[in-house]
Formats: sequence, C-alpha cells, structure tokens
Amino acid sequence: MLHLFTVVIEVLAGIVAVTALGIVAVRVLRKRWQRRQAALAAGPRRSLLAFVADNGEEGSHDLVAIPDDAWRAAEPGALALLGKLRGEAHLALVSVFLRRGTARIALANLRSRSRVKRARAAQVLGDLELRQAVPELCRLLTDRHAEVRVVAVRALGRIGDPTAAWRIIASLDRPDPVSSLLATDALVQLGTEAEVTLSAALDHPQARVRAVCLDALGLLGAAGSVHRVARVLRDDANLDVRVAAAVNLGRLGTRTACEPLALALQPARPAALRAAAARALGELGAPAAVPTLAGLLDDDEFQVAHEAAHALRRLGSAGTAALLAAVEIEAERAARAGAGAHARPSAPASHAMEALALARVSAEPVGIGA
Amino acid sequence: MTDLVRDLLRYTDVATLGYFVALHSSYLVLIAMAGLEFGKHLRRVPFAGADDMFRSPLTLPVSVIVPAHNEGAGIVAAVTAMTALRYPRYEIVVVDDGSTDDTFELLRAKFDLVEVPRVVPGEVPYHAPVLSVHVARGNPETLTVVRKTNGGKADALNVGINLARHPLVCMVDADSVLDPDALLSVAKPFGDDPLRVVACGGVVRIANGCKVIGGRVVDVRMPRQWLVRIQVIEYLRAFLMGRTGWSRLGGLIVISGAFGVFRRDLVVRIGGMAHDTIGEDAELVVRLHHRLRKLREDYRVVFVAEPVSWSEAPSSLRVLGRQRRRWHRGIAEILGKHRHMILNPRYGRIGLLALPYYVVFELLAPFVELAALVLLPLGLWADAVDGAFLWRFVLVAYGYGMLVSLAALFIEEVSFHRYPRWTDLLRGVAAAILENFGYRQILALWQVTGALGALRGGPAKWGAMHREGFDTAADSREPVGVGVDR
Repeated sequence: MLHLFTVVIEVLAGIVAVTALGIVAVRVLRKRWQRRQAALAAGPRRSLLAFVADNGEEGSHDLVAIPDDAWRAAEPGALALLGKLRGEAHLALVSVFLRRGTARIALANLRSRSRVKRARAAQVLGDLELRQAVPELCRLLTDRHAEVRVVAVRALGRIGDPTAAWRIIASLDRPDPVSSLLATDALVQLGTEAEVTLSAALDHPQARVRAVCLDALGLLGAAGSVHRVARVLRDDANLDVRVAAAVNLGRLGTRTACEPLALALQPARPAALRAAAARALGELGAPAAVPTLAGLLDDDEFQVAHEAAHALRRLGSAGTAALLAAVEIEAERAARAGAGAHARPSAPASHAMEALALARVSAEPVGIGA
Repeated sequence: MTDLVRDLLRYTDVATLGYFVALHSSYLVLIAMAGLEFGKHLRRVPFAGADDMFRSPLTLPVSVIVPAHNEGAGIVAAVTAMTALRYPRYEIVVVDDGSTDDTFELLRAKFDLVEVPRVVPGEVPYHAPVLSVHVARGNPETLTVVRKTNGGKADALNVGINLARHPLVCMVDADSVLDPDALLSVAKPFGDDPLRVVACGGVVRIANGCKVIGGRVVDVRMPRQWLVRIQVIEYLRAFLMGRTGWSRLGGLIVISGAFGVFRRDLVVRIGGMAHDTIGEDAELVVRLHHRLRKLREDYRVVFVAEPVSWSEAPSSLRVLGRQRRRWHRGIAEILGKHRHMILNPRYGRIGLLALPYYVVFELLAPFVELAALVLLPLGLWADAVDGAFLWRFVLVAYGYGMLVSLAALFIEEVSFHRYPRWTDLLRGVAAAILENFGYRQILALWQVTGALGALRGGPAKWGAMHREGFDTAADSREPVGVGVDR
C-alpha cells in the first residue's frame, strides 16, 4: 500500500512539474509565433492601408503578389477592413481577394466535411458579397449544423440578393429553424425588392414565418403592405403574430394604420396586443389617436396604461395636453376629497405624471457629466 | 473496542483519501471539458458575427440591473464602463439599496440625475419601499437610478426587474467593470438561439491590481496581495473552467449575480429573485431549471468564457471570510430548498448529475476537509495510521489539488492568456501551490460555518463589503457622457 502511495506521489510530482513547464512552454511558443505573425503581416498591412487610402486605384498588383504565408497572416485584418469599406475601395479590395483565389477556395470549402470550415467559408463569401455564391449558401440553409445555417443566413443578408428571400423564409419552417432575428435581419438587407415575397409569405401556415415577414416589412418601411399587415392584425389566430403586426404598423407610420390599431385596443383583446397597439399609435405620431390613448390611462392592465401614457408623450403637444388633463382631474379629485398634497395619486395620474416628467427631462438641454 | 476504533479511523482515513481523489478528478474532468469548449469557441471567433449583431436593429435590447449598497468606492467607474459598452440598445438601472455612503450623490453628480415620478410595477415582489426614481438628464431612456430603503440584494434586483423595459435583463454587481464587448457576448446566444436560450452566464475575473481607465480594464495584472492572487487561481478553476465545463455538460446551475443575462419574461413568470436565500443568483437558475424541466421545455442555460466582467475581490481575511460563509450558506440553502430535485430523474441532468455533484463535492467538501484535518492526527495518535501513511496521504491530497489548479492555469494560458507578464504568470503558478498551505483549510472552516448557518436558519446578512475601488488613472475622472440609446 505504502509502495503504491510512493509511486502515485512520484507520478503526481512528475505531472505537476510537466504541467508547470507546459505553461511556460506554451507562453514561449505563443510569443514566438505571435512575433513571427506580426513580422509577416507588417508588410502586407502597410500595402493594404496604402491601397485603401488610395481608394483602391493603385497597388492591387502588389497585394496579389504577396507570398501566401504573409497574406495568411494579414488576411483576418484584410477581411475586417472589407466590412468597414464602401464604394470603390470595397470593390477594389474584393477584386484583390478574388484574384488571390480566396472566393474559389471558400466556395470549395462550403462542401467541406468540417462544419467550422463550411461556416468560415460562408462568412468569407458574405464578406466578399459574392452573388455567385448565393445558390450554394442557400443550400447551407438546410445544413445539419445550426451554426453553419446561422452564418449562411448572415452571409445571404450581406450579399443582399432578393432571390434568396424564399429560401431564407423556408429555412424558418423546419423543426430546428434559423433564429427569427437573424432571418429578419437578413431579409431586411435584401431590400425593397423582397417586399412582394415577404408580403406573400404573410399567408404562410407557420406563425414564425408570418411574424418574421411582418418584422421585415416594418423595418423595410413597406408602406404598400399596410392593408395586408392590418388584415393580419385583425384576423390572425396567433397572438404573437398579431402583436408583431401591431408593432410593425407603428413602424410603417401611415395614417391608414390608425384605425386597425385603435380596434386592437378594445378591452376584449389580450393585454399584450393592446399594449403593443398603444405603443404603435405613439410611434405613428397621429394626433387623432390622442382621445383613444387618453382613455387607456386608467386601464386595469399596467402595461397598457403605461404604454398609452408614453405614446401620448411621443405625440407632442396634443398628447402632453391630454396627460396634463389627467393630472388636473386627479388634483381636483384630491381637493374635493380633502386629501393632502402627499396623497397617493391614482394609477392614471401616476402614469401621466411619469410620462410628463420624462417629456420635460427629454426636452431640457443635455448637461451630462457635469 | 480499541481495535474497532482503530479500524474505523483507518477506514475513514482511506475513505477520505478516496473522496479527495474523486473530488479533484471531477475538477480535472470539468477543466478538460472547459478546454474543449474554449477550443471550440476560439475556432469560431472569425464567424461569430459579433459585428453583425452590433449593427443589427433587431438585436434584443438589454436592461442592465446594478444593485448597489454602499458602493461609493467603485460605482462611478462601474457605471461609466457600462455606459461605454458596445451594444446597440440597452439601458442601465442602478438600484441604490439604502446606501449610507455617498453612492447616490456620486452618481447624481457624475450623470446629472433628475428625479422623475416613475410608476414601479409589481410584476415581481419587492418588500422595501422605493423612495425615488432618477434618470440622466437629456438621456432618460438610458440610465435610471432608483433609491429604495435597504431590503437586500434580491429585493433590489426585483425592483430593477420591475423597472426594466427590455426583454433581456443583465444582472451585474456594482463593483464590476465589464469588457466593452461583454454584453454583446452574453446576449449573443439569445440572438442565435432565441427559442431555447433562457439564461447566459459570463465569466467573472478579479480586477484587483489591474489598471482601469475610463471604466475599462486596460492592463491586466496579478494583484499585489497573495490572498487575492490565490483567489485569482480559484476563480479560474471554479468560475471559468468549472462553469464552462458544466455548461458543456448541460448542467450549469450557477450563474454569478456579478454577470448574467436572463429572459425577463421567464424571470417574471417564476416570481423574480427569491427573498429567502442569500444565494439568490444560483437559486434563480435552479428554479428556472425546475420550472422548465417540469414543463418539459426544450431550453438551454449557457455560459460564455470571453469577454468578461471584472470584479473586486476581498483583500482581507475578515471580508473574504464573510463572503465565503455567505456563498456556502447560499449553496446549502439552495440545495435544501430544491432537495426534491436531487436524484429525481424528472429533472434530467440537473437532478441526476449537477445537483448531486453539488451536494457531494461542493456542500460536503469543506466538512470532509476539516474532518480529515482532525481524524488524521487522531489516527496517528491512536496508532491507527502510521506517519509514513500520513505524509503520503497529505502529499497525494494536496498534490492532486495543486495539479488541478495548474491545469486550470495551463488551459487559461493556452486559450485566453489574459496575464501577459512573465512575473504574473510565475506568481500564478506560485499561488496555485501556496493555496494548499493554510488558505484551503481556513476556507473550509468558513464554508462549514456558512453551511451550519443555513442549517440553523435565521436571517442571513450580507455584511459590510469593504471596497478599495479600482486602480484608475487620472483621466478616468473626466466627465463621461451616458451612451445614447442607440
């Protein structure tokens, strides 16, 4: 037993010593590697910056001629730079990547067995905004690994080809769908050309798809879709979809959205929908909504009354007048009841006072960090 | 009779050794899991999409809730850091929980606060009344400071949850300084997998000794005191490696109150933070597991290893003792409160793996350690074990512990290597060795006291937590504007 103990102690001491040495060795090796990478990347980085500063007009041959090991060291920086450039400089740098064969390698890697390689390749193709890659990236929307699908959606959004809209929408209708937020973001980046597809998808049987399309239409400012969105708000069977419809009618900002939103405020409707509709009316900026919203200040649902007060605040002078009226009614009531100045205000007055105070603070000149 | 006692002592000593071997082996497994997870994470950084998330108008907005009680030493640096976070849309809700120092006055002066009559909804219960609500003038949507009478951290957090306007709530300690991308990292899993991710914890590292400028940690250094250096190693092993390992195993039950993000709707649905435990952060996670497992939901509680929240660690034995007694009391209370989940197959990995592990290797570990410190000399005195066995026992138990700490340091060096100086690295190695001589034993004593406190019941106290503040340069005192609600 003691002998076994001794052996264990010796082995343990050895492992402890090796681990301690390993820590030191890792640091030495990493520092050497970092120095080498920095030295390799220094030249290409200078050339890249000069190229970009020159708006990509000169120096592309030098960049293409950079040896592979040096380019590999500089490539992460070059890709990051790509995301920050617009216009001619962006196109010129993309052309450098294309001439170096980056896109060809990435396209090939989209079929790699390694999911990390597939995802990296999709990211690169998105950064390059390469339209030829759209069919292959659409194929990745059904990849068995979620992380690859996520990168593919983002890349498709970055490329902005509206023909990908249906494929992105379809990727939402599967048991393990792509994140709704990512899909919406990508669909918005496809631009107004995708509006027809998005509008048609409002009849999709899958609620998630309808909600995503509503968000995309709202963010695109698709004013032509107001009637269809209003119909969804009125008729859809799913509460989340109806809430999304209310939110996006507010974003679309047309006066025709007022009536359907006012209807959604009826007491029989679910509180979440009524709160969203109240908020949307504030976003719309339509003074015609003031009486409706003022009537909600004493709503039993906290969120509805709260949103109504803040919607009135956003509606400017007409809304502020309604809020002041609610406070005055409360003051008169308190006076009649003989309550002192420190009496607890009623719920409508509390919401109105809060909104008025925030309106006052927002209107004051900024003096932060005094 | 004497022989029986001798045999009993002998077997107990061997069993204790077996326990230590199992304990440290389990740590090694978790560290290995963490190593795999870090490798996976680092390979994915190039396509993680943090920039896309930052640019997207759809990124879920976050309410950062900061409970503060007598945090005058570091509150301005902490809130300043939060106002400069790289995140598209967020608000900060500081809840001053009855501070008796200048916490509120410092905030008012720095951020030009103005009182507003905000209505505090009662979606989650809070006991101590709210005295006033303040917002930053000109930017009322971004910074809110609530003053309330002292009601404890859970109560303060519940007030913050009630006032939070965004779908995600991030709980951050007032002595924390977040890395600029920290919020982006902990909120990202919610964007990538919004249907399943319900909570995400972030790493907490120790800020003592680091240089903080403009509310950011710009120079990472080992602390000056050995007591804090040892805690650095402990945080690496337990927080960074341990929790990452559990996250990979799908059994994460602790998200530090110093830095964690939760879905607000779920937190509200389960009643917010519990008032009846001092470990309210971990209790919330266990209760989330309880509710979601019961409903047979497909959900995930995840942990991200980088970037991080930097927090001030106790630099005196008195304060450290108070903290560790509190932590262990929290563990005991949570395990007691949710004992019906332990070994209950209905709760899957949480009931069958994570909670039993916490009982055996977290709650009981200090008891076993203290028992070993008593029984071994007793065995020697009673002639149940001989000296040769004793010193070998001690070497194996503590040597293995040393190996675990060094392994954590090794993985840190391979993956994140946040301590760039050679001297700091060597100090880290030395701290991994030194923690076995005195620190672990006194820690066990505090932990046992804390657990017994939970057993006795009665009100738990946070106690005064003395803060020294961060090592800041002069320019950090320059006025800093509140981030625009982007």
